Amino acid sequence: MSTQSTQWAAPAPDTKRLIGIDWNIGGLLHAGPRFYAFISLLVTVIFLGLMAWGAFLFNGGGLMAMRDTYPWGLWFTNYMYYVGLSAGGLAVYASVHLFGAEQFRPLSRLAVLQAGVLVMMALLGIITDMERFWRAGWMLLTPNPTSPFVYTGSAANIYMIIAFVDLWILITGKGGEKLAMRMTLIALPFAVYLHTTTAFVLSLNKARELWNSAVMVPIFLTSATASGIALLMISAYIMQRFNVMRFKKSMFRSLSTLLATVIIIDLFLLGVEILSIFWPTSNHPGHSARMALFFEAPYGWVFIPVLILGVSAFALLAGRNRRHLPAVQLTAAAMYVVAIFLKRYTLMAMGFAIDPLGQFTAPYFPSLVEILIALMILAIGLLIMAVAAKILPLQVPDQEIEEHAHEHVKQRAEWAALDAEPQAAQASVTEAG
Amino acid sequence: MSDNHLEPRDAGSPEVPGPETAPQGLTISRRRLLEGMGATAALMAAGVAPALLSALPGKASASESPSGGGDAVDAIAERNQPVNYPGRPVKYAQPAGDEKWVMVIDVKACIGCRRCVYACVKENNIGRESGFTYIQLLEMEPGSIDIEHAKLDYEEGGRPDKWYLPVQCMQCAKPTCVYGCPVKATWKEPDGIVVMDYDKCIACRNCIVTCPYGARHFNWVHPHVPEDEINPDVPLDEKAGTIEKCHFCIQRTRNGGTTACTEACPVGARVFGDLSDPDSAVSKILRTRRVWRLKEELGNEPMIWYVG
Repeated sequence: MSTQSTQWAAPAPDTKRLIGIDWNIGGLLHAGPRFYAFISLLVTVIFLGLMAWGAFLFNGGGLMAMRDTYPWGLWFTNYMYYVGLSAGGLAVYASVHLFGAEQFRPLSRLAVLQAGVLVMMALLGIITDMERFWRAGWMLLTPNPTSPFVYTGSAANIYMIIAFVDLWILITGKGGEKLAMRMTLIALPFAVYLHTTTAFVLSLNKARELWNSAVMVPIFLTSATASGIALLMISAYIMQRFNVMRFKKSMFRSLSTLLATVIIIDLFLLGVEILSIFWPTSNHPGHSARMALFFEAPYGWVFIPVLILGVSAFALLAGRNRRHLPAVQLTAAAMYVVAIFLKRYTLMAMGFAIDPLGQFTAPYFPSLVEILIALMILAIGLLIMAVAAKILPLQVPDQEIEEHAHEHVKQRAEWAALDAEPQAAQASVTEAG
Repeated sequence: MSDNHLEPRDAGSPEVPGPETAPQGLTISRRRLLEGMGATAALMAAGVAPALLSALPGKASASESPSGGGDAVDAIAERNQPVNYPGRPVKYAQPAGDEKWVMVIDVKACIGCRRCVYACVKENNIGRESGFTYIQLLEMEPGSIDIEHAKLDYEEGGRPDKWYLPVQCMQCAKPTCVYGCPVKATWKEPDGIVVMDYDKCIACRNCIVTCPYGARHFNWVHPHVPEDEINPDVPLDEKAGTIEKCHFCIQRTRNGGTTACTEACPVGARVFGDLSDPDSAVSKILRTRRVWRLKEELGNEPMIWYVG
């Protein structure tokens, strides 16, 4: 069945078949002027970023705003952020296979592509930050098992490969549903593992009071899932807007329900952490002094919006009358995608704001070079997504969706039958009793 | 949020089947899922096990020194073992001997003049515009050893209403920086000195994050030292774009000398020596005086003591 699914799209004249995928080269060549304007904008940004990176390699880290008191900056914020967005989007796709959430099947190719591209962006962030990046091979030759970096770095690399292989399997339909399922079985634990180890990079530091909390890991996972779902929703709307893919309204409705659920768990965990830091019987001076920065100027200007955006996003999605409106869903999703970026930034920056010797340092704000490099990485990601939207068959064939939907209904009927039997049996037992 | 279950559940609905959280059984059984996750967890556990083991090197020797029996100070020297030591000698210095180098700083004597800082900068080719020094002096408020209220950038020392706390690399027996380095570019030598390999450092700066004493510094700019002030015994250009830190003047102490800071101190507040030698000054101070260590509660086992 799945091997036939590729035949859904009649081969277009300009389609080129390579490694089992019909690359729609014509779609790219005949794209409109708006598309090419967008591409040239991205290429310009990438060019500027390359110049900035060159300047950094030539002149050294002095061009960055990072210093000993802020050893990590925008690149690390972005690393946490991109990894989270990637893992979150993958969770949606995985639920199709693991939990039979068939309504998300149309998203599968987009989710996997996005997951791979985002992890690639996260890794590019690390590489462009390391002043001696060509020595990174030591990670393979003499890895230190007590360093969380080893785990998150290797997980990100493997996960990226898994995502792109998975995308190929989904598009070509090779191995059928069975292989797709097995890939999910590998990819989902890896997504969780990747994000857990990323949280460990911060939380496994007794030298940094603000981060040294086990609740960091679940907060990272929920933030990741929430922002990942939100971004996937935005991407899906964009793809629909440009007629690349089409989705049912009910799919967006399910997605927004899932989003609201994860947002509230995320906010709950954050609330629990804040409470235990400030409660008079549990506060450690070093810890609460750092956490207090969350609510004071200048960091308060960045963190308090996190709470406002988060609560409003939840309120928008919880409202029964309006949550089916695309505008409401998009606004809430965009709010949470922004909120999580700000949260990552404040979390990173405030962990450093008071250094281990108790000295407060003026807030970190990235320098022009750092911003240009970050924009370059963002532009690379957008470029891949834009080109992929034109040349890759991202739309899951209707035939495949319907087949599984039918199977789903059939399965449900069987389950209902299963439920009915013991009830009947139980009824007879109670009657007898 | 729970309308997952309120949504069109009736089979008659023409829509796509509603959201389902229960396993549909069409693809993978719960058992398979759990098996897969279990296998992944086992793999990860296998990876982490050596990490945990290597993080507990002093466990056996610690249990051998109950407070009644053996000498407690000897037990500390015993716990000061190499970590991630690659077994090859450090360039620019003699191989490690049998000593266990430690330092004691008398905070009652220290006047906060920063002469140790200047001597250290000169001795160790620290870039004059690099914006860091190995030794950081804190001006402390009376009545507290809380460094959160200390002042690092004070104008001039010697104030009678303050006291001064010099902080530098503590050459910890359980160095979190060494545990945190992803590539083993930093390690602890057999004589207790934590050293850096400038040729191997990938500049990830994780050690800055893991160090509780702010003892590690990154060369954000190329280290610049005036031509006539360069110390030929210490690397300079190799340090660009990498981490550096106090190494107890390894180029001097392994040749029978003492550290530059100890030598420069005008009030003799610093005592440097071999803890494994019971007749050394440091051994005697630790056995006879009331000493304390900074942030001892973190368990890094710093090898610099303070006495007041």
